[in-house]
Amino acid sequence: MIRMLTAWLAAVLLVAFLYLGATALWFNRPSPLILGMPPLVFWFLVVPIVTPLVLGTLYLFDRRYNPQQDYFTDASG
Amino acid sequence: MSEGVIILLIALAAVIVMTIGGILYGRRHSRTLDGWLVNSRLMGPFLVWFLLGTEIYTAFTFQGLAGYAYVNGAAAYYNVALNDVAYALGFFLLPAFWLLGRRFSHVTQSDFVASRYQSRGLGIFVALATALIMIGYIDLNIEGLGAVVHVISGGSIAGIWPDVLGFVVLGFAVMFGGIRGNAWQSAIKDILMFIAIVTLFFVVPFHFFHGFGPMFQEFHAKLGSRMVMPGIAPKMGILWLVTTVLLTSMGQWMWPQWFGISYTARGPRSLKLQAVFMPLYQLIKWMVIVIGFAAVLLLGYHKKEGNNVVMMLAGHVLPGWMLAVFTVAAVFSAIVPAGPIIMTSAGLLARNVYQKIWPKTSDATTYRLTRSLVLPITFLALVLAELAPALIVVVLLVAYDFIAQLFPTIVIGGLFWKRATKEGALAGILGGWIVAGWLLLTHEDPWHGINAGFVALIVNLILFFGVSLMTRPADSAFLQTFFETVYPKKRRVSSVGSK
Repeated sequence: MIRMLTAWLAAVLLVAFLYLGATALWFNRPSPLILGMPPLVFWFLVVPIVTPLVLGTLYLFDRRYNPQQDYFTDASG
Repeated sequence: MSEGVIILLIALAAVIVMTIGGILYGRRHSRTLDGWLVNSRLMGPFLVWFLLGTEIYTAFTFQGLAGYAYVNGAAAYYNVALNDVAYALGFFLLPAFWLLGRRFSHVTQSDFVASRYQSRGLGIFVALATALIMIGYIDLNIEGLGAVVHVISGGSIAGIWPDVLGFVVLGFAVMFGGIRGNAWQSAIKDILMFIAIVTLFFVVPFHFFHGFGPMFQEFHAKLGSRMVMPGIAPKMGILWLVTTVLLTSMGQWMWPQWFGISYTARGPRSLKLQAVFMPLYQLIKWMVIVIGFAAVLLLGYHKKEGNNVVMMLAGHVLPGWMLAVFTVAAVFSAIVPAGPIIMTSAGLLARNVYQKIWPKTSDATTYRLTRSLVLPITFLALVLAELAPALIVVVLLVAYDFIAQLFPTIVIGGLFWKRATKEGALAGILGGWIVAGWLLLTHEDPWHGINAGFVALIVNLILFFGVSLMTRPADSAFLQTFFETVYPKKRRVSSVGSK
């Protein structure tokens, strides 16, 4: 369970960093344009697409290692 | 008859048809409190997806968020970030709530609190307080409905009638349909809303700017101060963004209706899958924010009309039939999300206040009482919206600051820290609410650039840990069972090979 909790916390921190840390460090500026978009407009388009990849990886890890699985009642996804 | 009135009549007809559909569909599944509130924990991923979505993608997303971007510029991105961080948190939290709910027969958030802390009093306190906060939250949707009707009718339909109509429809749909009926309405609402926003997102750039590239170039050239933080909103800098997103993402799952929605799922795997895919929904919010920026260039800057900008742009560029679809979507975005909130408020008052104070009340009576409270609660929200709109604005502004103060009690104490006590929980919640209230009333939000609710949460945590360590926790044997439900010691031998 500790392995699963560690993975979950890492995923939470990564998503939070993408939205907050990366925004503050690299994208909160008016120029230059990225793919024709102002930096923040670009970044807040990218992160909602990256986040499911992060959480999807966590899901696969969770399905493999989470001991709670045996108490789940729905079919495996 | 003007085009606006015809469009409103079409929208009304659509609302009535969908409401009857919801009633007919939900009635079969809504004969007990468990069935009515949590669909007997049998809902599959498809409907849970829409139920989760409907509570997040509301009238605020449809109208308020564009208005927020129109008024405050890049600060609006907080609303994209908060839900995704919350989904990452929810990946573990919602399945844990579900497991505990199934093991200990929880139907509401208050059941969870009373059970974990072995305290009927704390459960009643949380039920009452959150039910009151939620009634204020329902009014957000009344305001959204009013804005739609006002714009589409060209200002000719005003006063309380749009709100009265919306809440009569909502009240009866919830009372007869229950959560299952609401889920199907949510599915239709989300599809319509998706079509409406995506259409406007593509039509606006090509109609007014000759494409996306020129539109973003104009953002860059003319809206530079709106493209960064703090930009035009001097109090909303990066520190505000960080503390607001942390506070609101922790607060999101503390709304009592989320417990009800998580209990509806057939199993935790459905909830985990929602956490994986729900972030894609945020692209809709991104589109709405872009529309809000475009509105500044197209409509000029009139701060008071921020909430109307989406409907105003839709009225400018969409043909009549598409505007009708847009209006139906906007009306549903106001009406449907209020359903689970009303049901949860009614459930909390009937099950966690009335039945706990008078324990001899049977489950059948509690179920009837819950349903009979739907219309009075809806009516109370309507009265509040009409009589004290200024109060409602305050309630909405502070709602997240207050609801997030439950995080230490429910998440830290409820899922991670056995040593937490009911006294520590109560001290933390009250301390947090007092600090949040004081900072807000003295106009100290943000406080040195930090979200006021976040400051309150720090005080809350100090009290929560300090008082808990000085008081006695609940019975250790019970806590052992409680926490083992979330943290099973090992996997069952029989199933290891199949995993």
